[in-house]
Amino acid sequence: MSYAYLFKYIIIGDTGVGKSCLLLQFTDKRFQPVHDLTIGVEFGARMITIDNKPIKLQIWDTAGQESFRSITRSYYRGAAGALLVYDITRRETFNHLASWLEDARQHANANMTIMLIGNKCDLAHRRAVSTEEGEQFAKEHGLIFMEASAKTAQNVEEAFIKTAATIYKKIQDGLFDVSNESYGIKVGYGGIPGPSGGRDGPSAAGRGCCN
Amino acid sequence: MHYPRYYRQKRLVLPFLLSAYFPATRIFFSFASKILLSLFLTDCFLLSAKSPMLDSDLHDLSDDADYAASQQQGSASVMLCNDSTKQSSSSSDQDGAEIVYSKDNVAIHPTQFAISGRLKLIKQGSSLFMTWIPYKGHNSDNGLSDKDRNLYTIRAVPFTDIRSIRRHTPALGWQYIIVVLSSGLAYPPLYFYSGGVKEFLATIKQHVLLVRSAEDANVFLVNDFQSTLQRTLSSLELPRAVPLACGPSNMSESTLKENQERNDSGVNNGRVSVPQFHGRPRHKVHDPARDLSIQVLEKFSLVTKFARETTSQLFRENQTNGFSANERRTHIQTNLDPPKASSVAEKNSDENSANSDSREFDELSLVWGKPRQPPLGSEEWITFLDSEGRVTNSEALRKRIFYGGLDHKLRNEVWGLLLGYYPYDSTYAEREFLKSVKKSEYETIKNQWQSISSAQAKRFTKFRERKGLIEKDVVRTDRSITFYEGDDNPNVNVLRDILLTYSFYNFDLGYCQGMSDLLSPILFVIDDESEAFWCFVALMERLGPNFNRDQNGMHSQLFALSKLVEMLDSPLHNYFKQRDCLNYFFCFRWILIQFKREFEFEKTLRLWEVLWTHYPSEHLHLYVCVAVLKRFRSKIMGEEMDFDSLLKFINELSGHIDLDATLRDAEALCICAGEEGAARIPPGTPPSLPVDDGSFYIQQDDEVL
Repeated sequence: MSYAYLFKYIIIGDTGVGKSCLLLQFTDKRFQPVHDLTIGVEFGARMITIDNKPIKLQIWDTAGQESFRSITRSYYRGAAGALLVYDITRRETFNHLASWLEDARQHANANMTIMLIGNKCDLAHRRAVSTEEGEQFAKEHGLIFMEASAKTAQNVEEAFIKTAATIYKKIQDGLFDVSNESYGIKVGYGGIPGPSGGRDGPSAAGRGCCN
Repeated sequence: MHYPRYYRQKRLVLPFLLSAYFPATRIFFSFASKILLSLFLTDCFLLSAKSPMLDSDLHDLSDDADYAASQQQGSASVMLCNDSTKQSSSSSDQDGAEIVYSKDNVAIHPTQFAISGRLKLIKQGSSLFMTWIPYKGHNSDNGLSDKDRNLYTIRAVPFTDIRSIRRHTPALGWQYIIVVLSSGLAYPPLYFYSGGVKEFLATIKQHVLLVRSAEDANVFLVNDFQSTLQRTLSSLELPRAVPLACGPSNMSESTLKENQERNDSGVNNGRVSVPQFHGRPRHKVHDPARDLSIQVLEKFSLVTKFARETTSQLFRENQTNGFSANERRTHIQTNLDPPKASSVAEKNSDENSANSDSREFDELSLVWGKPRQPPLGSEEWITFLDSEGRVTNSEALRKRIFYGGLDHKLRNEVWGLLLGYYPYDSTYAEREFLKSVKKSEYETIKNQWQSISSAQAKRFTKFRERKGLIEKDVVRTDRSITFYEGDDNPNVNVLRDILLTYSFYNFDLGYCQGMSDLLSPILFVIDDESEAFWCFVALMERLGPNFNRDQNGMHSQLFALSKLVEMLDSPLHNYFKQRDCLNYFFCFRWILIQFKREFEFEKTLRLWEVLWTHYPSEHLHLYVCVAVLKRFRSKIMGEEMDFDSLLKFINELSGHIDLDATLRDAEALCICAGEEGAARIPPGTPPSLPVDDGSFYIQQDDEVL
């Protein structure tokens, strides 16, 4: 399927917070409790529709361990959106948010839209970070916030789509030069909306057809 | 149009051989030699000349007197009238093959003896070809066989395949030239005993674009895209990214513009582009990478003797190893299949089609390394041991394992030796003794963390975090393998215990993601906790730096990889450079865990034991990287992949890499690179043992787990 826009997302956060599971839930609508740990980076893609326009999300799922930070930083290049994930049952993953954010601010473009996700909200009985704390952090740092569960799929769809809608609005507001791919946005043919898993549309060739 | 039957038939043969032979070659090796390849092919044709299939393939030609004559001369690949006896009839023939230059007494000096022959330039249609055919019978006194002569024969190489010609004019002795092919290799120096270099170059100039290099007045750069066939082949090779440095005569306005853009972007497919022709100054006065590659290539032409011997040796060994000529011929037949990837450029970059395209490219590649052998089995294994169990010739053993790997039943016994845990010269009894000593040593270290009570752990954050991380990771490691699958699988706990014990054995390095990927196959093979631990320790002696906090082990390998690509495929290197991809991060996973995620589990075991032989090089894994990159270079450059798409593409190659073919490619590249390649890998680059032992594991940050 062709798309009107392609947005590059990057998922970041401590190891084991459920980054790969969020991605899998979003792209395949399933939960896999034993997902191979991510080495380097992995990819997922899905088509969504915003304002009746087909938008392809190309999502980079990164390794969370501290040792790989120097490599992970190179993946920020040209990301339009970031999902910053912590685990509501592990306080330390929340405590590390500031350092992740610092990385993102330093290595991504300034207009990158960041969604903060408190994952594993199905495990409320083991909660170590309150919803209010999450909200407060997001507010302080200008992030969008949601609690979600990759296991139950709660808010997963919403988190990805809300991020895209925010990016889309930024485009409409003229915040991006969409012909500059360093913003993580590619313009494709304004084709018919279709099911997920579409292929890349031609990017450069279709640039002229979108206003 | 009327052609005599003889030429009609030849015209059928020519495009087939050229299209099958040349593009595939270029797709694959830019450095590994076309000479080697042509030697290889020639030999195979000779050896398989009696094979029924080849006979029938060429049956149409068998009643052709000229064809028969040329075959007697040892060449099945008659592309043109390169048989000197046909000179008079071919020089002015109706199909346009015309000898425009012919020089006698042009010799090569591959050994202490010279081989003399006739150098010719042949024009057919708009294409120019060069041939050099050694004289028959003149060399009988120097011990050269017909076969040797055939190995050196230059059969109708089109000028579109030639990158440059260097002229040498020594103060004493004969003038000679070195012809460097765009595929990367050079022919041996051609000595003009009776002069004629100037005339040779002048003649070429009349027919193809020949430009004196700005850097070296003795280097003449060749470009010829007047041949439709070659243009087609080139577009096959590098869809959409070929900097067609056409002569001005046949270049359309749009092509010219396109070329300018492409030249500006610095993409170079191995041909030397000549921006001057587009009325622009060379934006780069000096390109050290290219100079270097020309130097290397020329140097290479001087080692043709080595190449020839290697090739001959390969065939001798093949014969003794029971690889029948038939098998070999079938193999070549496969490789000579006409390319199927012609429409790659037209395809959209669909994620799904990307992989099927990749597979097509796989089939296109030509391999040169020695054929893989069946795995080493128990009976043969015994022959490597003396009566007490010592390995009598470890190099022969490593070589054997390099070429075939191990039968799975033997891995348990042999991996410890390969990894350096057991010395090769240890006896059965000594190994048993070491095993028991090491077992208690393991238990001691294991006991260190096992004795930490939960109360103590509460005050020991680092331990808790490390343990937590390991526990999180072992349940995410290879759980689809039967050995580790299912709830409460005890092997998963063993993985955890070994990793935690290792993090106490080497507390500074600790635990890092990727280690469980390295340990999992070892535990699967060794299936004994203490033994698996010590094998893992031995492996980490070499790969530990991969997990250093500052990533210096990874960076040094990625750096060495970039140096090897620069040497072995400078156009690809330049492409990466121009795309700002020289950090080679897209190869990160390959190197960090030794391709573990790129192959199925069983294939990984095979690859690892091959790598651990350190047979042609300690750094064979880097040549494996180069081999895979070269295998897909047309796609990478053709689709003009940037860092992101490259990373995605490489990631998705997982499960689509042909291991055996890649290993053969890697071996060939490693041999080609030789000492020059080894010199580009800084000392201490993993998996070499660290140069400055101890300093590698010093962590700068206490936060590290």
